[in-house]
Amino acid sequence: MLDILFIGLSLGSILLLVALGLAITYGAMGVINMAHGEMVMIGAYVAVLSGIWLKASLLLAIPLAFVVTALLGLLIERLVVRRLYGRLLDTLLATWGIAILLQQAVRLEFGLSFFGIHVEGLGAGLQNVAVPAYLQGTFRLAGADINAYRTFIIAVTAALTLATWFILYRTAGGMQVRAIIRNPNMAAACGIDVKRVNAMTFAFGSGLAGVAGVMMSGFKTVFPDMGTTMVVDGFMVVVTGGVGSLFGTILSSGLLGEINALVAIGTNDILARAVVFGVVILVILVKPSGLFSFKGR
Amino acid sequence: MSIERKFQVAAYVLFIAVIFAAPVFGDEFWLNRISKYLVYGMLGVAIALTWGYAGILNLGQGLFFGLGAYMLAMSLKLSSLTSLQQGSDKPVPDFMLWNAEPGAPTELCCINKGSFLWLPFQSQSVGLVLGIVLPVVIAGALGMLVFRKRISGVFVSIITLALVLLVRLVMVDAQPVTNGFNGLTDLGWLTIGGIEFDPYSRATYYLCAACLSLTLIGARLIVETRAGMILQAIRDDHVRARYLGFDVSLYQVFFFVISAGIAGVAGMLYVVVAEFASPTFMDLSFSVTMVVWAAVGGRSSLLGACVGAILINMIEAEVSETEALVEAWKAIIGLIFVLVVLFMPRGLGGVAHDVLRWFVRRRKPGKAFPALPQQSEAL
Repeated sequence: MLDILFIGLSLGSILLLVALGLAITYGAMGVINMAHGEMVMIGAYVAVLSGIWLKASLLLAIPLAFVVTALLGLLIERLVVRRLYGRLLDTLLATWGIAILLQQAVRLEFGLSFFGIHVEGLGAGLQNVAVPAYLQGTFRLAGADINAYRTFIIAVTAALTLATWFILYRTAGGMQVRAIIRNPNMAAACGIDVKRVNAMTFAFGSGLAGVAGVMMSGFKTVFPDMGTTMVVDGFMVVVTGGVGSLFGTILSSGLLGEINALVAIGTNDILARAVVFGVVILVILVKPSGLFSFKGR
Repeated sequence: MSIERKFQVAAYVLFIAVIFAAPVFGDEFWLNRISKYLVYGMLGVAIALTWGYAGILNLGQGLFFGLGAYMLAMSLKLSSLTSLQQGSDKPVPDFMLWNAEPGAPTELCCINKGSFLWLPFQSQSVGLVLGIVLPVVIAGALGMLVFRKRISGVFVSIITLALVLLVRLVMVDAQPVTNGFNGLTDLGWLTIGGIEFDPYSRATYYLCAACLSLTLIGARLIVETRAGMILQAIRDDHVRARYLGFDVSLYQVFFFVISAGIAGVAGMLYVVVAEFASPTFMDLSFSVTMVVWAAVGGRSSLLGACVGAILINMIEAEVSETEALVEAWKAIIGLIFVLVVLFMPRGLGGVAHDVLRWFVRRRKPGKAFPALPQQSEAL
């Protein structure tokens, strides 16, 4: 039983990394970023490419993926999202277009395939990433076999969540973000550079998704379309937890991860996902603002 | 009749004339392909109806399309030659026999646990009726649940999105009954009143063209009724509409149901034309793609969304057959999409309106030609 709960916890961790970024961009900026899943995908490809070209291990890929996806997020914010503030559903559609673009960019090896140049690691095929030897294998804890790599995922997630919490609640920049979540106009009136803070928030969220991608590359195959399911799952977490609530996001990702793992053990993976969707629908129907939304506004 | 109105009527008449005249220009294979685009055009109308007029962005329209498609496909599967020639008294889908456990009876009632669900579909009319009734009933129930609770905006989108994915997964998982990922292939022809609708015949094309025309005209008439006006008022400010005493959720449910019915019919027609039904109809990407068509064509224009759907698919087919662009095409679509949202938020319909307005003002300065109202940002 403990091992199943543990699997659920590691699933929830990945979900949390994806959802954290979505939660802060949606909560703070009113932007639904459908290209967020592609940040996960690109993070995974950073792990693949750094393994092939730099002979670097998974550990080095983590900061690398964070930087790459954060910069990409910044670029997207500057070019597209910035023009769409206040048009919630339009951000959804435009970022969906960006998602398609990014998927095809990886599939076409950034267009190089047209010139007959092949970049190893990119393209339409499936890729795999080797997990370092010291993260493979299992150890025994309280009578259950615990997978070392899953433990690593949970540890990284815990560290990044703490860092996010620290930035949001213990720094001046974080206070500005929280002010914007509460009331963007008021924040702007108080002299906060909303545009700059929004850009930073977007980049940070994208970076977290990139790290989630590296984590995922360790136990799933990497391919150009892998992001689509991730963004859906991430959104489910954000909405279930309550928009703008860090605590709600953490709790609901754990909850959905556990439900997924428990049902999957009893039946199969497909039904487990279906049950998760069912739970999310029920939560929205019963509490439209999510489980832990804060009062106010 | 105002000058704007005249142009609108002319546009509808012209469009319907063009689709009915199309068979003159091409052979059966070309017509078969165009029929598919007309079906997509119906989906465009369905999206514009809920999104443009009701302000409800349904990211799960594929659910209603898929349900309509599967209902008719089940009937057509049972009337296909392969199903009839399985050696039992009544037709049985071939995939059920392939996957049956050894020694299982070869009757539809009890090959496997869920196969009895197929029993009513031995009649084509059952499939035809259920193909529209099921989407309508489900949309009605969902609408009652969602709109009565005053859930709005992006939360409706998330619910519909989760629902379509949920149903898709269940369909895939119920492999013995639905043939899972493979979907239903090798279907018979639809027969209504002695006419067989061969997918590569003019009759089938005219069926699609007629359904699209009726949908367009019907939807146009219904948004111009009092109910349609109230709906638009709700879209623009639902709180104010509520204060004025209108039962907001009732109107929303009503138009949601109509949209679902249109999607169900479109799903059935697609099965007749394409001769298969598959879980890909309920993929997230398909549902979002429909929204893209409507956005490019103009979400607040029924005809615009319809033309957008047809146009994008025609261009897509054209370009994807060009050797060099086969792979790049999707990226181009993605780019078009971003650009349309950024620079043409009212789509082709909005552009056409602006061009006409400019033209009329130059030629006849006295005539009134109102500007298109700004898209409500509360969506």
